[in-house]
Amino acid sequence: MLKTEIIEFGRLLRKGGVKVSVDQISTALEAVALVGFAYEDFYMALFTILITDQMDRPLFDKLFRLYFVTAAQNQKIPTKDSQQTSIPLNLVQNIEGKGMGIGAGAAPYQLLVKAVRELNYPLLRHLAHMGIRSSVFPEREAIKEMEKLIEQVKVAVGWYMAVNKLEKIRQQESVSETVYLSWLDCLAYLMDYTESQLEDLFVKEYGLEILDEIADAANIREKDFVKLNDLQIQEIRKRISKMARKLATKYARRYRRAKHGKIDLRRTVKEALLTGGTPMRLKYRKRVISKPEMVLLCDVSGSVAHFSDFMLRLVYTIQNRFSAVRSFLFVNTIDEVTEYFKNKSIQEALDAAFAKARYAMSPFSNYGRVFCEFEEKFLSDISPQCTLIILGDARNNYNYDEKERLQKIQGCVRRVLWFNPQPQESWDTEDSIMSIYAPHCRQVFECRNLKQLEEVIETIL
Amino acid sequence: MFHSMEELEKKMTECGYLIDHQVATVVYLAIRLQKPLLVEGPAGVGKTELGKVLARTTNSRLIRLQCYEGLDEAKSLYEWNYQKQLLYLHVKQNQSKAWHEAKDDIFTPEFLLRRPLLEALESTKPVVLLIDEVDKSDEEFESFLLEILSDYQITIPELGTIKAKQIPIVVLTSNNFRDFGDALKRRCIHLYLDHPKFERELEIINLKVPGISQALAQQAVLFVQAIRKQGLKKSPSMAETIDWARALLTLGVSEINTEIVQSTLSILLKYQSDIDKLLPRVSSFLSED
Repeated sequence: MLKTEIIEFGRLLRKGGVKVSVDQISTALEAVALVGFAYEDFYMALFTILITDQMDRPLFDKLFRLYFVTAAQNQKIPTKDSQQTSIPLNLVQNIEGKGMGIGAGAAPYQLLVKAVRELNYPLLRHLAHMGIRSSVFPEREAIKEMEKLIEQVKVAVGWYMAVNKLEKIRQQESVSETVYLSWLDCLAYLMDYTESQLEDLFVKEYGLEILDEIADAANIREKDFVKLNDLQIQEIRKRISKMARKLATKYARRYRRAKHGKIDLRRTVKEALLTGGTPMRLKYRKRVISKPEMVLLCDVSGSVAHFSDFMLRLVYTIQNRFSAVRSFLFVNTIDEVTEYFKNKSIQEALDAAFAKARYAMSPFSNYGRVFCEFEEKFLSDISPQCTLIILGDARNNYNYDEKERLQKIQGCVRRVLWFNPQPQESWDTEDSIMSIYAPHCRQVFECRNLKQLEEVIETIL
Repeated sequence: MFHSMEELEKKMTECGYLIDHQVATVVYLAIRLQKPLLVEGPAGVGKTELGKVLARTTNSRLIRLQCYEGLDEAKSLYEWNYQKQLLYLHVKQNQSKAWHEAKDDIFTPEFLLRRPLLEALESTKPVVLLIDEVDKSDEEFESFLLEILSDYQITIPELGTIKAKQIPIVVLTSNNFRDFGDALKRRCIHLYLDHPKFERELEIINLKVPGISQALAQQAVLFVQAIRKQGLKKSPSMAETIDWARALLTLGVSEINTEIVQSTLSILLKYQSDIDKLLPRVSSFLSED
C-alpha cells in the first residue's frame, strides 16, 4: 500500500530534476520496512537513498513536506487514485505556532522589526499567516506565479520598510556581525515559511495534482535563464561552479596516462627490471591535448546579462582548459574585460568588469554597431586559431545588422559559435534577427537552461 | 551486529563518537541493507573517524585503503609477486619440469600479493573496509570499484571469481574534490556530514577537551559558528575548533577577547587571505557581554 506513495514520490522528484532510478525506489521500500514510520526515520531513510546530491536537498524537503505531511493532514483531498488517500503515516508535525503578544494597533512592519530583533520565530510565523490571509485567495493558475504571491505578502507585512528600519538600527546601534547575521536568518526564514505556507494552501485547496507543477517549477536545471529570480540565480551559480570543477578535473585525469601514444622507454625499461629484463607491459607517454583559444563576446543587456554572467564564471573557472581566454562585454558598444580577471576571484573580477568597463551608452543592444567596432578595434590582434563565442539573443532593436562584418570576423578565426539564451520559438520574432546572423556562424545553439548549457559546453572543449 | 538504531547510537557514543539520530539512521540502514556507505562533507567533520569507530563498535578488523591519483588494481586489489615467481622458476630450472607443470605452480595463491580490497573479501572475520578519499582516485578506479561494491566479488583471470566470505561493511569517504559517476552514487547509501550545530559542537568540545570551563567553551563555539557563515575559502572544521579550544586552555585564557582571538586566529584559519579578511573584524563577532 505504501508502495504506490513511494513510487509516486519518486516520480515527483524526477519531475523536479532529480535522477532517481528504479533500483533506488526498491531500496527505499526495503529501508522503510526496516526503520518504520516515525517521522524523522522515515524522512532520513528516503532522503539518504533517493538523493545523491546535497544540492537537491531543498527540493526533496519541499516535496516531502507537501506530499507526506500536508497531504496527510488533509484527508479530504481529491486524488487521481482513490486508494492513495489512505496514507498510513503518522506524520503530524506541529507547524502551527500562534504568535503571541501582538501589540494592538502596531503597524505590521513594526511587528516585523520587533520579531526580527527578538529572534521571535512564532511571531514571524504569525506575520506570514497574517500576510497570506490579507492577500486575495489565489486562483489555481496562480501557482505559476509564486513570486508575485510572495511579493504580495511582503508588501502586506511591510517587508521593505522593516528592512530599511533594521539597516538604520544596525548603523545607529553598531550591531555586531553575529547579531546581524541572525537577523538575516530571520528574514530568510520568513520568506521560506511564507512560500511553504502558500504551497500548503495550494495542495490543500487544489489537491495533490498541483504538486506536479510545483515540482516542475522547482526544476532548476530546466528553468529558463531569462526567468530566474535572485535566489535561483545564486543556486545556478553554485551549480555552475560545481559543474566547472567537474569539467576541470575530468579530462586532465583521463588524458594523464593516455592509452595510446608514444612509448615512454625509460618507464618501460624500469618496470621490465621487475620481470628480469623482459618488458611485460609498455608504458606510454603523457598525451598532450590541444587547448583551444577562446574569445567571448557577451551581450550584457537586460535579460541576457545573467546568462553572460554564468558563462563567464564557467569559462574562467575552467581556464586551465584553454590556452588563452579573452572576453568582451557589449550592449551597444564593446569593451575588453580580460584584464579584470587576472589575479582576482571570479566574483571580484565580474563586479569590477561590470562596474568599470565601457560597454553601454544606452540600455538597448546594437549588434551591428558592436560587430563594426570589434572588427575595427580588436580583430587585428585576435588569433586566427581561436574559437569565437557570441552570447546573445540577437535582438538588434531594429538597427542595421551589419552582417558583412560578422562574415569578415568569421573569416579571421577558426570558428564562430553563437549561444542564444532565448527559446528557439522566439528567434526571428519581433526584433530578433538570429537567422540573418546564423549563416555566418559555424553553429547556433539554443542555450536557455542549465541542462543545455552543460551540453553546449562539451562542444567547445 | 546491530539489532536496532538505538543500540547503534548507544555503542557509538560509548566509543566516544557522538552521533545524532539522523546519522545513526543512515549508518544503520547501510549496515542492514548491506550497501556501501558513502560519506561526504567538508574536511575535518569526522568522516574517517566514523569508519574507524564502526570497526571498534562491531569488533571488526579495519582495513583501510587510502586513495590517491594513479591508484590502480595492482595496489588496491592484488598483484602477482613477480620476483618470487622468478626465484621459484630459477630453483625449479634444475629439476627440468615441463612448462605446464611449472605454470600450474606459479599462478597459485602462494604468489598472490593481497592488497586491501582482496583482503577484505577473503577475510572470514567481520571486516570494516574503509576506502578513504575516493574522490582523489581516477575515474577508471571508480568504475572498477563497482563490481566489488555491488556484488561483493572480484574476478582474477588466473584464479577465477572470488566471492566475499562474509559481506564487509564498506565506508567510502569523499571531500567532494570531484563528482562521482551516477553508477557509483546509485549503489551507495549517502551520508552528508556537515559542521555540527552549536549544541553538538559544545558537547564534543566538552568531551574532547576535558578541563575547559563551560563559559569559555561556549564563547569559542559561538565564535567558530559565526565565522563559518562568512564564506571563507576554508571554514574551520570541528578538528580546528578542538585544537583552538586546547590552545586557549593551554594559554590559561578564562575569557575570549579581541586580542586573544587575533593572536590565535591562525589555528582556526589555514589561508592567509581568510585571516586577512577576518582579522580587522574579529571584535564584531564577539558578543558584547
